[in-house]
Amino acid sequence: MAVVSINHLKKHFGKFQALKDVTFSVNAGEVFGFIGPNGAGKSTTIRTLLGIIRATGGSAEIFGQDVWQDAVNIHKRLAYVPGDVYLWPNLSGGEAIDLFLKLNDQKHNEKTDELIKEFDLDVTKKCRTYSKGNRQKVALIAAFATDADLYIFDEPTSGLDPLMEEIFQKNVLQLKAKGKSVLLSSHILSEVERMCDRIGIIRGGKIIETGTLDEMRQLSRTSVTVTTRTPADALAKLGAVHNFTPVAGTTTKYSFAVDSESLGNVITELTKFGIVTLQSTPPTLEDLFMRYYNQEEGDQIER
Amino acid sequence: MNAKFGKSGFLTRFYLGRDWRQILFWIIGLAGLMASAAAKFDGLYGTEKAMASISATLKTPAMVSLFGPFSSAGELNPAIIYAAEMMVFMGLFTAMMNIYFAVRNTRAEEDSGIAELISAHAIGKQSQLLAATLELIVINLLAGIIEALGLQTAGMTGSSLEGNWLFGLGLAAFGIMFGAFSLLVAQLVSSARSATMGSYLVLGILYVARMGTDVQNPDYTWFTIFGWIEKLSIYVDNNWLPLGLMLIAAVLTGSVSFAISNKRDVGAGVLPQRNGRQSASVFLAGPFSLVARLERTSIIVWLISLPLLGASYGSIFGTVGDILKTNPTMAKLIGSAAAAKAGQGIVLSFAATLCIVFALVATIPALITVLKINGDEKKGYLEQVHARGISRLRVFASYTGISLITGTIGLLLGIIGMAVAGNSTMSHPIDLPRYLRAFVGYWPALIVAVGITLMLVAFLPRLQQLAWIIPIYGMFSLYLGPLIDLPDWTKNISPYGWVNNVPVKAIDWGTAGWMTALGAALIVIAYLGYRHRDLTIN
Repeated sequence: MAVVSINHLKKHFGKFQALKDVTFSVNAGEVFGFIGPNGAGKSTTIRTLLGIIRATGGSAEIFGQDVWQDAVNIHKRLAYVPGDVYLWPNLSGGEAIDLFLKLNDQKHNEKTDELIKEFDLDVTKKCRTYSKGNRQKVALIAAFATDADLYIFDEPTSGLDPLMEEIFQKNVLQLKAKGKSVLLSSHILSEVERMCDRIGIIRGGKIIETGTLDEMRQLSRTSVTVTTRTPADALAKLGAVHNFTPVAGTTTKYSFAVDSESLGNVITELTKFGIVTLQSTPPTLEDLFMRYYNQEEGDQIER
Repeated sequence: MNAKFGKSGFLTRFYLGRDWRQILFWIIGLAGLMASAAAKFDGLYGTEKAMASISATLKTPAMVSLFGPFSSAGELNPAIIYAAEMMVFMGLFTAMMNIYFAVRNTRAEEDSGIAELISAHAIGKQSQLLAATLELIVINLLAGIIEALGLQTAGMTGSSLEGNWLFGLGLAAFGIMFGAFSLLVAQLVSSARSATMGSYLVLGILYVARMGTDVQNPDYTWFTIFGWIEKLSIYVDNNWLPLGLMLIAAVLTGSVSFAISNKRDVGAGVLPQRNGRQSASVFLAGPFSLVARLERTSIIVWLISLPLLGASYGSIFGTVGDILKTNPTMAKLIGSAAAAKAGQGIVLSFAATLCIVFALVATIPALITVLKINGDEKKGYLEQVHARGISRLRVFASYTGISLITGTIGLLLGIIGMAVAGNSTMSHPIDLPRYLRAFVGYWPALIVAVGITLMLVAFLPRLQQLAWIIPIYGMFSLYLGPLIDLPDWTKNISPYGWVNNVPVKAIDWGTAGWMTALGAALIVIAYLGYRHRDLTIN
């Protein structure tokens, strides 16, 4: 069952089309990774989901309700942490956390205290004195302490240190264990790899790919370094082989990339030249994303 | 030198380039007001009779409290009357302009984090403050020169080259001095809001002090700083000494600011920051209590200042209404009972003018609060609130509610403060309900002002600062309009001008009713607009 379902969502700011065609859904109990380069439309999508801005076209629903019309009902079952957390400078962190809980008719409880301790936040400090990371902690504590069905995080850890990042991941995995749904927008690929069941990639206001990481790996390339008995330059002609480069100073050592789905065929082909050593590296996430972020299929980001 | 003031010139040019629209707006407003009034004065007070009559009016304590003492022993001419009517008023507006620019380029920049970015570049530690100071000097000089040229062009009877330039440059020095005060306040506190509030507090206290000494003994006005502007004695003695005093005060205050800025951290103030509460109190539970909590300090300051302002004006009612002193011949002629009655009449008509002032001043905190609907949104504070189970209606209603409550109580307390203090000084006091007619009269105007502002907030968020035209224009048209004989329609474009002359006259319930209805309708329409638009995000 889909908790979030977005269909052909469009958002124009004057002439600028921030979202051109966004379609994806987040299923109940899954952690959905929402990734894409800066300015691709991640935050705009999330703000539309929150009913803060109004879609120009298409539809977006959370819990089967329209995100604009039924915003208040939806928000009662939702917790959100923005990438840039701004807090009232003259409130203390503790006051802000409690206020956020009360705004959802919830109370400061043991879980809240636990989180404050875990995230190591001095809640008596005024918000104006907090660093970016500390402001994020306030929002994260308030969100994790909220009993909601859907959690939306928009680059929530950009100001956190690795230790806190770890605590964040632990808490998200706890939510997942409890069957909660999570929409996580992030640039930290290890975070995405560790936690997300499925991923959606947005670029230039369009969703260009959705699926599990494994599925995406399938669509990507494996890099191979091989030493053969006889020269194997003929391999370069295969359609599935890319960036074929002989290693300098050798005659029979090559490195190249292979479309993952054709790996078997290429290996069969390789055996004809006699394999001496073979090293194959599955695509790293970085490779994967670089490919998606950079690819130019005639749809350059339009202004 | 470079370590401290490097690139100051560049920054100054940058600030001027960025602010030129606002600068133009203020200078055209100030100089235009001065020149157009000056052009009318020969026509207004051309005859001996008109001059004698206005001179008698200006000598009454009520007028002295508003415009400063009028003590021309020698021959009267339109220029002298002009200076007497305009000087204090122009000083007030010039000071406001300087507070605006001083805070804008110092504290506001630190709040938004721009100051931090700029400091990270190869500029001196003090360059930003120096650039802000230089910008103020340029703005004031420009305004002063244009004002002087405007007076020169208007060529009132009795004006002189020296007087015109003293007027313009005197205002410039006065502005630079208040700009310096504001820069100092900006060093002491730790946010733009506190800096603006603190600066207005200084201005308010000095202004009221000047009023007190002017009515009691104008010699003491020398100690009130604000009063220096009266002591320029333009077109009469043309005294340049106060101008020198202003510049000395500006230099002294400025040096203190630079000394503090040299020591303090960017983004921090000098006054200590206390830690806050561990957890929220039971009273902080929703958007309404949130807005109340955030505006708490500001509300308290306003609700104390307004009755104090009222009381300080009220404290001169005894003098104002004492016909035996101000006009003994007439008092003898009409007898003591009738004299008491006439005294009450004078007090009431003075109170009518003052109530406009209270209504305008009470409008300020009301507007500040509703403008924050977008202000807090832009700063990102409300993103978390919207993402929770809070409807836009509640957010909108909370800000509007706090705004109306503050404005209403402020207006009420201002009038009560005036009434109580006034009655304590009068031998024949006036009933409180009589004074409160003014509250019923001007309250609807407050609602309409908030309604118009909310319409801007909802439909033209980028231009919402235009809302400040409502009280500023109201002040100009009702306070100064009658003296420079503006036509009636100029009064009627301000909602405050729709109110009849309460508390002298009885309440016009019809007008009060339709104005309240109009205000309410504007608020509802604004809500509908706000409900259906994108929130103002950065």
